[in-house]
Amino acid sequence: MAQAATGRSHRVRHVPELDLLPVMNLFCVIIPFLLLSASFLEISIIEMSPTEGISSGAGTTSLAQSEEQQLQPKIIMTDEELFLSTVFRTQSISPAFPEERDGEIVNSYDFEALSEALGVFRIELDRAFPSIPIHKITILTVDDIRYDNIVMAIDICADHGFNQPGLQVAAYSVLQRAITAGAGGE
Amino acid sequence: MSNAPTKRHLPLMLGYKKNKASVRGKDKKVSLNLTSMIDMFTILVVFLLKSYSAEGQIVTVSDALTLPESRSEQKIELNLEIIVTNDAIVVDGEPIVFVDETIMSEGNPIPVLVERLSDHLEYTRLMRGTTDEEEMKVNIQGDVATQAILLQRVMSSCALAGYATQNLTVLKVEGGDER
Repeated sequence: MAQAATGRSHRVRHVPELDLLPVMNLFCVIIPFLLLSASFLEISIIEMSPTEGISSGAGTTSLAQSEEQQLQPKIIMTDEELFLSTVFRTQSISPAFPEERDGEIVNSYDFEALSEALGVFRIELDRAFPSIPIHKITILTVDDIRYDNIVMAIDICADHGFNQPGLQVAAYSVLQRAITAGAGGE
Repeated sequence: MSNAPTKRHLPLMLGYKKNKASVRGKDKKVSLNLTSMIDMFTILVVFLLKSYSAEGQIVTVSDALTLPESRSEQKIELNLEIIVTNDAIVVDGEPIVFVDETIMSEGNPIPVLVERLSDHLEYTRLMRGTTDEEEMKVNIQGDVATQAILLQRVMSSCALAGYATQNLTVLKVEGGDER
C-alpha cells in the first residue's frame, strides 16, 4: 500500500565531519616540547642598594647627609615590633606575632598595615617635597630577623615606589635609640 | 519453528546500498569522537604556552635552601652565585665559610669570603683585560630562614671585594611589578 504524502522531506542531511587527526598530530608534537621546556618555578631578583656596615651597640647610626637621604624612610624590624620611621614621625606599625610557615612557627608582622602606612607617607612626601624623588628605603633590623620577612617588607616598599631597598643590621640598643629619637621628634 | 534469521536468510535483510560484507561487520568504520580530547589539549597547550620561557632558566637553585617568594619581576642575569644557608656560604659551588656562632655574632665583612671574592674579580679582570659594571654583580641565594646578620655580612663582604651590585635571588609569584 502506498504511504500517504506528509509534505515532509525524508532526505537525511549528512553534516561533513571535521578531520581532527592533523590537529591531534600537531598537539602531540607541541605538548611534549612545551612540557620539556616549561619552567614552573620562575626566578627573579631584587636589586639592593649598597649597604652600610653594621652599627655596633656602642656607636650611633650615622644620620643621612643629603636632603634625599634625610627624607629616606626606614623600616625598623625588631623581634617584638615593626616600625616605620620617616622624616615626619616614627610610628609603630605592628607587633610581631607567631605564624606558621612550612610547618614552623615563626615571627611575622602585619604587612598590610605597613602598606597602608607607606601609602600615607608617600602622599605626604609628594605633597611636602614634590621636587625630590625618593625611591630609596632602608630596612633596619636586629640580627635574627628572618630573610623572608625582609623580602616581604621589600615587596611592600616597592608597591609604593620605594624600589631601591638597602639592608642595615644594627644592635637592638641602636634601634631603640632610633625609635625613641623619631618618636620624640613627632 | 523459530523465526530467528540464519546466515542463509541474511540476503533477505539487506537494505539500500548495503551489501553482505557490511552487514557481517567486515568493513565497519569505527570513528573516534576526538572533540573532547581536542578541548583538553587546547587548554593544556594554552597553559604550557603561558608558562613557556624562550630564554630558559640560567640559574640552578640549590637543593639545600628554599628561596623566599617575591612579586619582583626583574629578570635574573648570569652573575657570580653566592649561596647562603644556615650551614655554609658557598661561592660558585665551593663552600667557603661554615656558619657557626662566631659568624653569627659579629657584624663585619667575613675576611675569607672577601678574599675569595676579590680573587674571583681579579681572575675575571686578568681573563678579560678589564672589568665593567656587569661583572661587578653577584646573585645571592638565601634560605628563607637565613638570619639578617648573616645576609648583611655576606653583602658587606661583596661590597668590600668590589661587587658593588648585589641581587637577591627570589622565586617570582604572581601580581608582580616591574622594578
